[in-house]
Amino acid sequence: MHAGLSTKNAPSPKVVLPYYAYGSIAFIIATIVMFFTAGDLAVGFITPKILSLVHIMILGWITMIIFGALYQLIPVVMEVKLYSEKLAMASFITLGLGTPLMAISFWFDFISDTHLMMAGGSLVIISVIMFVINTLGSALQTVNKTIENKFIVTSIFWLLLTVLLGLSIVLFPNILTYGSFQIHIHLGIIGWFMMLVVGVASTLMPMFFIAHQLNKNCLERAYWAINGGLIILLASMFFDLGNYAKIGAGFVIALGFMMFFKYNFGAYKKRLRRSLDIGMKLSVLAFTLFVITIITGFLSAFGSIIDASILTKLNLIYGVSLIFGFLTTLILGQMYKTLPFIVWLKIYQDKVGKFKTPLPADMHSQEAADAHYFFFIGGFALLMGGIIFSEAVLIQASALFMLVTASFYGYNTFKILAHKEKLKPLTFPKMKPRVAIKK
Amino acid sequence: MAKIDNLNETEQEILEIIKTVPDPEVGVNIVDLGLIYEVEHFERDKKIEIKMTLSARGCPVGDTILMHVQTVVSNMFPGYYVDVELVWEPQWTPELITEDGRAEMDNGF
Repeated sequence: MHAGLSTKNAPSPKVVLPYYAYGSIAFIIATIVMFFTAGDLAVGFITPKILSLVHIMILGWITMIIFGALYQLIPVVMEVKLYSEKLAMASFITLGLGTPLMAISFWFDFISDTHLMMAGGSLVIISVIMFVINTLGSALQTVNKTIENKFIVTSIFWLLLTVLLGLSIVLFPNILTYGSFQIHIHLGIIGWFMMLVVGVASTLMPMFFIAHQLNKNCLERAYWAINGGLIILLASMFFDLGNYAKIGAGFVIALGFMMFFKYNFGAYKKRLRRSLDIGMKLSVLAFTLFVITIITGFLSAFGSIIDASILTKLNLIYGVSLIFGFLTTLILGQMYKTLPFIVWLKIYQDKVGKFKTPLPADMHSQEAADAHYFFFIGGFALLMGGIIFSEAVLIQASALFMLVTASFYGYNTFKILAHKEKLKPLTFPKMKPRVAIKK
Repeated sequence: MAKIDNLNETEQEILEIIKTVPDPEVGVNIVDLGLIYEVEHFERDKKIEIKMTLSARGCPVGDTILMHVQTVVSNMFPGYYVDVELVWEPQWTPELITEDGRAEMDNGF
């Protein structure tokens, strides 16, 4: 096999596709749950309904798609075969079963060790452990020790710590006094999601933009700044070191993300493809929304220096702009850059050159994609307005816009998944008669 | 081996056939993307050698593109042994994209 090629390394589509199907349904359910959680979101305190919504979004939607996409992307990023396809399928089943159990338990019983929570939490942890084994097992085989891989591998360690701490909070609620809830949130947000996003996005964005000769020094600096800042932040929460330590940590982390931002902005500026397809348009929107997360995240670090009601809103905008803004938009966009290729390869891999095949970009409805792009922007603006003005009606309106977004997105996901072979005869350029060539 | 700017008539014909192969991500044919480095036609040995590259290492559809080239050239030259070799040197750069390729890229999706 040729070095650097990934098609033969790619896992069987049946391993990856269920993650996309489940994720798109979870997103629809999350928007419905959001409608009924609007009152709690307008107030801004952590409530059973908010925890339920957050876990549907984070586990059922974001983690589900990230797991699936990563099983597909590991061969691309690391240039190796996936360590185990069976583990990948098992991690889907356990995450898929565990997430609703946890969401139901949060909704009815808040943070308590109910049977549902214990079963759901255990299933999610088993899923994460299988994911960790699979990704680290693949990472050990690679000779491709790039900075992007380092981000991915580090994010997996933080993920393991996140879920172990999450279950510990349910089992031993008295550890909440040691800032464990905040630590759990920041381990998950910065350590797991963001570290992973930096690693994967820094590989894929330049590839999709067709941008070359980028300086990776800023990614190295981003790695040390984000990890170093995170460790200081976690220590300041655990030992209650006060606001200045948190501000310092927040500053270092924000600096790290700006380095990452700079790298991707460099790719955007150097891009050869001036017109952006829907996948890249959504990805660019994601990075724009990420600015809100960085600013509010950094301001949140000022803690008690800020007026309590403003701080509550800042914290909420920080979390919401990350989960509903940056991560959701990035996933909406990257679906169009990954799923069509997986399905296209499955159907057309053996047909190329023999028939004229459609392109991966022809497999979704452009109208549905454009519609969910605009409905998402409207929904996100309403959500921000609802939080800032503490208006539940605006958040309910946002939930309806998000439901339309999720429905169009789900329609396109299933349209791609259900794509049927469309072949046309090949047309070749007119050639001179062969006889003439042989003369 | 014949570079693509110094091809005989048959080799140019082969290049035209390869132009029917698009990069599935970009939607532009791989000749105008500058991915084809060399084409050589050996009449006596019934052999065609093609050297090409990809725009990114780890390209998820890399194998498929190579197979596509192999299939279309074999179809048009039955009885020939068609060897498609993937090379990473010289490294592909955007400067290799032709004017037609650039125009097509911006008119694409």
